[in-house]
Amino acid sequence: MLTAHWLYGISGCLLLALGLRTALLHDMLLQRLIGINVMGAGVFLVLITVAYRGPGIAPDPVLHALVLTGIVVAVSATALALALARRLTAEQDDG
Amino acid sequence: MAETLIWLIAMPMAGAVATLLLPRQSTPIACVTAVAASLVAGTLLYAVSEQGSLSYEIGGWSAGLGIALRADGLSALLLMMTALVMLASSVYAGTYFTKAAARARFWPLWLLLWTSLNALLLSGDLFNLYVTLELLGLSAVALASFGGKFAAVQAALRYLLLGLLGSMMFLAGVSLIYAGYGTLDLATLTLAVEPEPVAWTALALMSAGLLLKTALFPLHFWLPPAHASASAPVSAVLSALVVKVAFYLLVRLWMDVFADLVTPAAAGLLGVMGAAAILWGSWQALRTERLKLLAAWSTVAQLGYLFLFFPVLLALPPGPARDTAFGGLVILALTHGLAKAGLFLAIGIIQQRSGHDRINELNGTAQRLPATTFAIALAGVALIGLPPSGAFLGKWQLLAGSFASGQWLWILVTIAGSLLAAAYIFRVLGHAFGNQSYPRHSVTIAREEWPALILTTLAVAGLGLAGAPVWNLLESGA
Amino acid sequence: MTAMLVLDILLVLSLLSLATAALATNDARRSVILFMAFGLVLALAWGRLLAPDVALAEAAIGAGLSGALLLTAVRDQAHRALRSSRKPVHERGRANLRVTLEWTVTLLCIALAGLLAWALAQAFDRAPKDTLAQAVSANLAISGVSNPVTAVLLNFRAYDTLLELAVLLTAALGIFALGPARPGHRAAGPVFDGLARWLVPALILTAGYLLWVGAHAPGGAFQAGATLAAAAVVLRLAGRRSVGLPTGHTLHVAMVAGVSMFLAVGLGLLVLGRPFLGYPPAWAGGLILLIETAAMLAIAATLVLAFFGGRPTPAPGVAEKTS
Repeated sequence: MLTAHWLYGISGCLLLALGLRTALLHDMLLQRLIGINVMGAGVFLVLITVAYRGPGIAPDPVLHALVLTGIVVAVSATALALALARRLTAEQDDG
Repeated sequence: MAETLIWLIAMPMAGAVATLLLPRQSTPIACVTAVAASLVAGTLLYAVSEQGSLSYEIGGWSAGLGIALRADGLSALLLMMTALVMLASSVYAGTYFTKAAARARFWPLWLLLWTSLNALLLSGDLFNLYVTLELLGLSAVALASFGGKFAAVQAALRYLLLGLLGSMMFLAGVSLIYAGYGTLDLATLTLAVEPEPVAWTALALMSAGLLLKTALFPLHFWLPPAHASASAPVSAVLSALVVKVAFYLLVRLWMDVFADLVTPAAAGLLGVMGAAAILWGSWQALRTERLKLLAAWSTVAQLGYLFLFFPVLLALPPGPARDTAFGGLVILALTHGLAKAGLFLAIGIIQQRSGHDRINELNGTAQRLPATTFAIALAGVALIGLPPSGAFLGKWQLLAGSFASGQWLWILVTIAGSLLAAAYIFRVLGHAFGNQSYPRHSVTIAREEWPALILTTLAVAGLGLAGAPVWNLLESGA
Repeated sequence: MTAMLVLDILLVLSLLSLATAALATNDARRSVILFMAFGLVLALAWGRLLAPDVALAEAAIGAGLSGALLLTAVRDQAHRALRSSRKPVHERGRANLRVTLEWTVTLLCIALAGLLAWALAQAFDRAPKDTLAQAVSANLAISGVSNPVTAVLLNFRAYDTLLELAVLLTAALGIFALGPARPGHRAAGPVFDGLARWLVPALILTAGYLLWVGAHAPGGAFQAGATLAAAAVVLRLAGRRSVGLPTGHTLHVAMVAGVSMFLAVGLGLLVLGRPFLGYPPAWAGGLILLIETAAMLAIAATLVLAFFGGRPTPAPGVAEKTS
């Protein structure tokens, strides 16, 4: 196990837990959404760390592709959540 | 024959594209797509019963490098249920949305939801399952908020956030699996997996995410508002199918891929949560003032029964006894899917005709809408678990299994839940059959009322009287 | 080696502190900006871990577009949604309950992080089998491209990418169903307008380059689509209402371009007797470029729509054609 695996792997786990805590406890939508995105970043960091094989060695391209897919899915979900939130505040302000 | 697997996904997806490109013809296109996709699902069911499990390697790449689709008896049956519920709800949705513009916006999302349901039931790859879960979650949320009513949008937003949380937990488990076993293919993984920390942790993470998505008590709180505030055809598929496919995935992981890891304690935990779901969900269904909320809380309770099967199945010795009980689980899930979809469609008709769904003000419904009231009664038979419904067979197997393994608690919970279900169903029927003095006009519009009636009849008579093929199919497709 | 270690520690510490800061603050705008900075540092980390494709996508989509989306949401006060649901804390019992809940969740999250790290360490110790990466390089020659990440995304696991485009389409349709977009921005001053005049063509050129280069080097449809979307966002900020984005029917065509092209190629091959999305090696390069071009259009259209937050409204004076 490389030092980079330790450092980045543990950071990924910490980011996941940090994001999860905010997503569960925060009472503002935006922070909860950012929390979920940080959680996602943690999982992606774990995946990219697993893909890493050391300096000068080609990393695992499958995991890179998975993370690319995950990033696009995450931004789609964020966009939908924000559109729903915008709709809610628009109605709150009207009513 | 294996091509039917990819057609089941490509067909609704192509339908979604077509309805989007030709908005004026969207309703006929959607109906043709629904019929065609149902025929393909029927073909697959037949093929699996004749030839056993089928698989299809997308792009011609062997599973592992590429992604494989697989169908066995369990997935073929659930695909068929999906097709029946979606077909009937599509016919109903065509009349439910009266404005052509609303229909044109509805169909693409509807068909994308169907795509995701089929894709999830067929996927043989863990990361692909994550993508199908997200497609399922986003299309379900978009449909739940469809129409833009405040309560619906609010519930949809909560639903989305919790769904995303669940997906992320699932993905964390998937990444652990890849780190430990170097594969994402379920079949390869089934052979490689061993009872060790990597596998336990991954299974725990994936299960936590899926339990949130199936709304097992105490993670059920998002379900009643989301299912009760959506439009009727959407509520039907959310309650009948969307939570059910997440449950399917749990069964696939616990009973199939990670079967060697599951301990009696873990299964018992699921059983306890299921028991709590039955009691709490039924109690809330009994107390609620609104018909749609009653149906949604009843979904929370009915999902509980499915989870009671976990400790029972694990206690039975592998072989015929366990297979028979497993058939009971499947038939209970199928019956609930058909009956609950029919119930939501019937409630939609009542709500549109009388402008509300308050249970205490349902008097005269049986006079005005006899066919719809009959559909609700049939759904009630299935939800209580009376003969000859499929749920009776399912619960019978649950009781027999609990009896055989000496798990008395589940027997008590099942009986208590069924009594509570009888209470909340008769409360509705009591009001619906209450007479109303003003002149009756029992107009029946076939396209509106038939779908609910057919679904509930299938749940009661179809699955109850002809349940044996389900067991045969699970055997042959194993 | 030690220099690398210092870089690693710096990267990891700034990631964790930026994430903590972004999640700890109650100021929404501050939170978003810290999150964008987090995304940029994350892109550096991807670069450090030899994942340049991911670094490009993170910088463009993860930090850039997500950040832009979140910032506009803050401007529209959308972050206030869901907030009113929690009742103010009055009674001491309720406050105690809240504290207990916070501690329980925090401890559970710490336990989760520990468990995950422990399991991950076990997985690393098993000396990970590299079979899939080897299978990718063994089949790279017949995949039609020489960038292994593009080969996985558009050939070996193309089905994932098809579903991913469907997710993107679903999000756009869900946003559409909620109603029309908010009114456009005011026209920008001459300086920004002048900047937009050269920035936009440069971004479009970059998008084309990224798309082309994806076949053999880091880049591809998603990075290109995001860059194209950035060009439209710049135009939008400069006050152009429709930013050349089609309305009505043409917009639908752009949005479904990716899914349609994927399906057309996949089903076409199926009809010709090949597997779904099983490109013949000789055509693979061309077919992949075809799909990627359509995917880039779809991604750009969808991301711009997401930024607008609804159905684009036609410019004043231009009557909307019947749709």
